[in-house]
Amino acid sequence: MSVVSEPSSAVPQMAAAAAAKRLPLARIGIWAVTLFLCLTPFLLVIAISFGQKIEGASWEWAFSFANYQRVFVGANWPEEFTALYLQKLYYSLYYAVIASVLAVITAFPFTYLMTGLSKRAQSAWLVFILSSLSLSEVFIVMGWDVLLSNRSGLPMVFKATGLTQWLKDVGWFETLRDWGLANPRDVKFKTSVFATVLTMAYLVWPYAVILLYPPLSRLDRSMTEAARTMGAGPWTVMRTVVLPAVRLPLMGSVLLLFVFLLGVYVAVTVFAEPAKQTMAVSVYEAVRGNTLNAPFGSAQAVILLLTAGLFLALGQWLTRRNAS
Amino acid sequence: MNGLQLSGIYKDFGSVRAVENVNLDFAEGELTALLGPSGCGKTTLLRMIAGLEMPSGGSINLGGNNITGLAAHKRRFGMVFQNFALFPHLTVRENVVYSLVISGTSKSDAIATGERLLDLVQLSGYGDRRIGELSGGQRQRVAIARALAQEPEVFLLDEPMSALDAKLREDMQVELRLLQQRLGITTIVVTHDQREAMTMADKIVVMSQGRVEQVGSPQEIYHQPENAFVADFIGKANFFDGVVEGGKIRVGDALLELKTPAGFLGGSPVKIACRPETPYLDTEGVAGSRLKAKVTFVRDVGPVRDIHLETEIGPMVVEYARGETDRSFSIGQDTTVTLPVEGLHVFPRTGQEAA
Amino acid sequence: MILRSLGNLFMALSAVMLALPIVVVCGAALNSGRSMFFPPRDPTLVRFHEFFVSEPVWVEALTNSMIIAFGSAALAVLIAWPVAYGLWARGDKASKFLAGLGSMPFALPPIVFGVGLGFLWTFLGVLGSIWAGVVSHAALFLALPIVTISIGLQSIEKSHLDAAATMGATRAVAFRTVILPQTIPYTVSGFFFALVLSFNEFIVMFFVSASSYSTVTLQIFNSLRNGYTPTMAVAAITFIFVSVVVFSAVARWGDLPRLMGAEPTKS
Repeated sequence: MSVVSEPSSAVPQMAAAAAAKRLPLARIGIWAVTLFLCLTPFLLVIAISFGQKIEGASWEWAFSFANYQRVFVGANWPEEFTALYLQKLYYSLYYAVIASVLAVITAFPFTYLMTGLSKRAQSAWLVFILSSLSLSEVFIVMGWDVLLSNRSGLPMVFKATGLTQWLKDVGWFETLRDWGLANPRDVKFKTSVFATVLTMAYLVWPYAVILLYPPLSRLDRSMTEAARTMGAGPWTVMRTVVLPAVRLPLMGSVLLLFVFLLGVYVAVTVFAEPAKQTMAVSVYEAVRGNTLNAPFGSAQAVILLLTAGLFLALGQWLTRRNAS
Repeated sequence: MNGLQLSGIYKDFGSVRAVENVNLDFAEGELTALLGPSGCGKTTLLRMIAGLEMPSGGSINLGGNNITGLAAHKRRFGMVFQNFALFPHLTVRENVVYSLVISGTSKSDAIATGERLLDLVQLSGYGDRRIGELSGGQRQRVAIARALAQEPEVFLLDEPMSALDAKLREDMQVELRLLQQRLGITTIVVTHDQREAMTMADKIVVMSQGRVEQVGSPQEIYHQPENAFVADFIGKANFFDGVVEGGKIRVGDALLELKTPAGFLGGSPVKIACRPETPYLDTEGVAGSRLKAKVTFVRDVGPVRDIHLETEIGPMVVEYARGETDRSFSIGQDTTVTLPVEGLHVFPRTGQEAA
Repeated sequence: MILRSLGNLFMALSAVMLALPIVVVCGAALNSGRSMFFPPRDPTLVRFHEFFVSEPVWVEALTNSMIIAFGSAALAVLIAWPVAYGLWARGDKASKFLAGLGSMPFALPPIVFGVGLGFLWTFLGVLGSIWAGVVSHAALFLALPIVTISIGLQSIEKSHLDAAATMGATRAVAFRTVILPQTIPYTVSGFFFALVLSFNEFIVMFFVSASSYSTVTLQIFNSLRNGYTPTMAVAAITFIFVSVVVFSAVARWGDLPRLMGAEPTKS
């Protein structure tokens, strides 16, 4: 028997060939538009990161690595070494790693359960998830800010319900103080790493569901049923069948969310302590804020970009390595 | 010459030759079945006839005109696809009159033709339904009506019954054949089901591995298979390997007699096929080779009874139609089997040939 | 059995957690005073009137938000169609590269893209024009219609195109009568995804507006320093409402699970 299966159609390819002959201008046009809109902004950031600030609020073209030097070792190096901006990068990574892992860990069981529901129920959940996903960062921060604020939010609920007093009685209040989640009298969540990470995880949680939805809904349920008939309990099925099958999408989701979180701005400015701000905030400050040093802001943006690119490439590499 | 002729058609996909040197004539008004196992190139051949695939070489002529390079949309060949390929965003009527609408036929004409065609396939009143509301059989009728709308020169069907269940399939085969005869339209059906081919076709083209193995009427194909592949693929057959010896065939210790001496040199390796309904069990006075046999299994499936035997030349199945004999056979019973001289087909045996 | 209830409990808990900040903000919109409290004090709908009608700052911001959302979504769909079509019809390295390029702004940290767009519009002398804002969001959300239209194109069975050809349809006719109608739901979905996300986007708009106009999200952010007002919560409610309506419509008239990447249902 020959190895040729039923041949696929040649129609779209033929259509494309003819279209290419007929409309080379349209093709050139779409390339030009896409390159201009999607690539030039990034190229400009990279080019300007080598420029230098001049007095006033302006800058000029140059080719200097001073901006990068300032990020990594400080402006006055070698006389003086400052890790101020490295620290900002560190916090960018720190928040993003914790929040993305947290989001994926909690979104995974949710999505798994959701894909087991009827198609109608799935649609309803997806509407809810997508609405939450699209909700602006500013609104989400606003909501959590109200919830976590010391005057009107959870701390007051803690106090009113006697939870604060109970925490003091069992001695956990001191632990909370050590973690920066309490002032001498009450629990407080603002500003703290806890609040920052919580809001960031919340921000990307719907994204995590959307990312995990395709692999989990395509998971062959007869596979898990087969495992059940062979005597595997629900947890064993999860551990030996489901998790290995979606290991890659799980890691991929963490990476994508991580990259997304590198650029979060509003949540960090509101919830993070001044000493623990991120590079995204620093970019903002330099380009549009008080310091007005566009080349320096660009250099930091490039570093964010490289970090993001690095992790995206890592994701690609993992996928490819697993596929082969 | 109004029919369709293929001469020297072949098709390569990369380095694989999917269809090899096909020469066929399709007479006007005849129904031809392209029959073969999956992957034998029959669908590729049909798609080349439709213009959906360009042959790598050879020519296609219709009524004396060379149409080899003509694009599919200029050929006016109606085609029914394996999964019918009905447009889900259009109603039944809109599907049927699609070819008329895009060719600029007036709306009233299109509607009239649509009604006539729906009537023809017994779907009048279904015009406003959506495709999703139809059963498999109804979809097939829509696909047929749609393909006939442009009054095609040639009517092509790619495995038209494969999406239907077994019961419906048999009915539709008869119905489609009657419709085709009524319209007198040149028709080519691709199928892997020999029963389907024999039910509908005037002429069957048996294909295997991109080659045409045999062309003939259903009866010719069944009773005079030209090679072991056809004998095996069409109907059932018992096969034995033998060697030519003085006009007879030696298989093991037995020497089988033939009606006419085989046209092979002495000592040539051959393959013998024997349809299961031709041998006689425990019968005397038949011209043929009588062999000792033992019954190993009996399968009684209503209209026929298969008796499995172990004979001195190897295992064999003999089939009795109900009422042909009232004799009973039991497992382990010793008997004799006679292979009548006219029931044996001899083919040359080459090393690689599978049976 | 226990496991199933545990599962339901977890899903319910997730839903509550997801809804919590939204509910708080919504509730706060009903306050009668200028400060935000939850639960609201002296509930009233006056703040809605302010947001939609009487306060020029908010009305103008809302108008800008709508112009940018509708304009950018339409533009994104227009650019995405040839990109997605090329990817589907050609499928060669170049078209894959182009589609990847079009998705890049969405995949990388938006703050970097925002900074870059700010520079680009400065060079072209149009920084702060609302049309620069429209184009910026079209570029940022180009990935969404590219993805949905690609899914739509992939759902077209090749045999439908063959069938159209055997019935006399030229490529142009087949495109108009087979490809386009079958991909319209996906195109519309892509449009709405881009629309809703543009409506809610903040950081890129911050850099390209250069404070010369404001959208609702920018206005909210600017007001953050002065503390929250119930009118801001009204804005939040409006936005959530729009999202729910849009996604419900997509779910109703399109195949939302399919768009989100579930296996297509066998018909």
